[in-house]
Amino acid sequence: MLQISALHSHYGLSHVIQGIDIEAAPGEVIGIFGRNGVGKTTLLKTIAGWVKPSQGAIRLGGAALDGLTPDRICHAGVGFVPEDRRIFPGLTVEENLSLGLLQVKGRSSRDEKRAVEGIYDRFHKLGERRHQLGTTLSGGEQQMLAMARVMVGKPRLVLIDEPSEGLAPMIVAEIFAIVRELREQGAIILLVEQNIHEALSVADRFHVVERGQIVFSGEAENAGDRERLLKLIAV
Amino acid sequence: MTPIDYLQFVLAPQVVNGLALGVAVVLVALGLTIIFGMLDVINMSHGEFYAIGAYAALALAAAGIGFWFLLVLVPILMIPLGMAAERLLIRPVFGSKDRHVTTLLVTFGLGLIVEDVLKIIFGANTQRPPTPISGASEIFGIILPNYRLFLILVGAAIVLAVAYVVYRTRLGAMVRAAAFDRNMAASLGVPVSLVYAGTFAFGVGLAGLAGVLLAPIYSVFPTMGRDFILLAFTVVIVGGMGSIWGAVVAGLLLTQVQALASLVISPVWTDPIVFGTMVAFLVFRPQGLFGRLGHA
Repeated sequence: MLQISALHSHYGLSHVIQGIDIEAAPGEVIGIFGRNGVGKTTLLKTIAGWVKPSQGAIRLGGAALDGLTPDRICHAGVGFVPEDRRIFPGLTVEENLSLGLLQVKGRSSRDEKRAVEGIYDRFHKLGERRHQLGTTLSGGEQQMLAMARVMVGKPRLVLIDEPSEGLAPMIVAEIFAIVRELREQGAIILLVEQNIHEALSVADRFHVVERGQIVFSGEAENAGDRERLLKLIAV
Repeated sequence: MTPIDYLQFVLAPQVVNGLALGVAVVLVALGLTIIFGMLDVINMSHGEFYAIGAYAALALAAAGIGFWFLLVLVPILMIPLGMAAERLLIRPVFGSKDRHVTTLLVTFGLGLIVEDVLKIIFGANTQRPPTPISGASEIFGIILPNYRLFLILVGAAIVLAVAYVVYRTRLGAMVRAAAFDRNMAASLGVPVSLVYAGTFAFGVGLAGLAGVLLAPIYSVFPTMGRDFILLAFTVVIVGGMGSIWGAVVAGLLLTQVQALASLVISPVWTDPIVFGTMVAFLVFRPQGLFGRLGHA
């Protein structure tokens, strides 16, 4: 269970997150929607520990995450796929994946190898290009690598920021298929996405953020909630 | 003098001497460039860590410990020293906005303190440990001191070992990842603080090892770090700050330039040529010959 309560965070003097509450159960996909600059990315960064919360609590499975360093948050079961993918230049596909293995402590090398082979079976192109530098992959392949890098650690909570940005429709469908797989594995997913139509196809519930606060929450299946969502985020 | 004689008795020995000096500079620059590439910290006390390594070897040798054992022992002893320096001096100011200037000044201050402490403990006089490998060998008619040949071989082995760790192991991938993007690396489970401290300590350990290896050639005195550190900084800048291969290429090239230039111009001009190269790189190619650690 993920419980975020009265969460606040700042970028310098700017009060970006102003009291956000979110709850989610294992296997739930929560869409986080809103216009640019309302604090969606900062919310994910605060949960991942990149931005320190100034107030409030974040708990995953009862364990407090707020105030921990990003590596400890990761070891608590949180995977982060950031907006710009953050593939490490100078590292091959395999090396990028090998870092993902660090999410789980104490795994034997045989289990690690099996986990990576599982990723290559799932993402054939990554397998074919395992010795290639990660940054030489296409945008879609980089997004897959960024998601595979997190999947290999089997996190309980996955934070995904704008996964479809700048990608071709076919790749976007593939990316959302991965989100569904993660959900089927029982992970909680917080999905920040501008492609509302695709995001609603995979989300169970959603929250609309404005100026660092949740101004509307709804069910993805509920036609009325969807209509209200579209009105709220229409530019 | 015939061209063959010139080649055999003037040019070749100069090239080999330049190579030995190049390896020495690369050994000192290696730790410096790794610390810079990883932490973005210009460690102005690196030369003094090199001096500590040399003095530690001197003191331990006087206590009866053999040179071969010192090659292992001194770097190991330097590691906790590096860890302590990172924890007590670098980390507290690492998050500050003026990190580059602050860490530069802090390490500069540390270097001055170490230099004075070495003077107090060991005195200001130059000391020269015995050469562990004596004699000379004749290769293609060129007489070469055995210890310099040993230094070239050991230096090459150290560079290859370090490059292997950094570029071919998961530990190295962690170091390169954290050097490029500490947040993302941490979000994948890389213990970034530990990696930073370990890298700093590793760099300090390498400086200590360089101190042990170079003391028999260049002698031991409290300000010995200064002589090498300027050339090492030049090598790091020209090679690309944080690049291991850059340090190797730049170290060997610049010392060859130094060695060969002194054959045709007055030796007083070799330093301006080398440091002029550094200035030219800073102005026209600040990324150096190679990129930074963690960058493609």
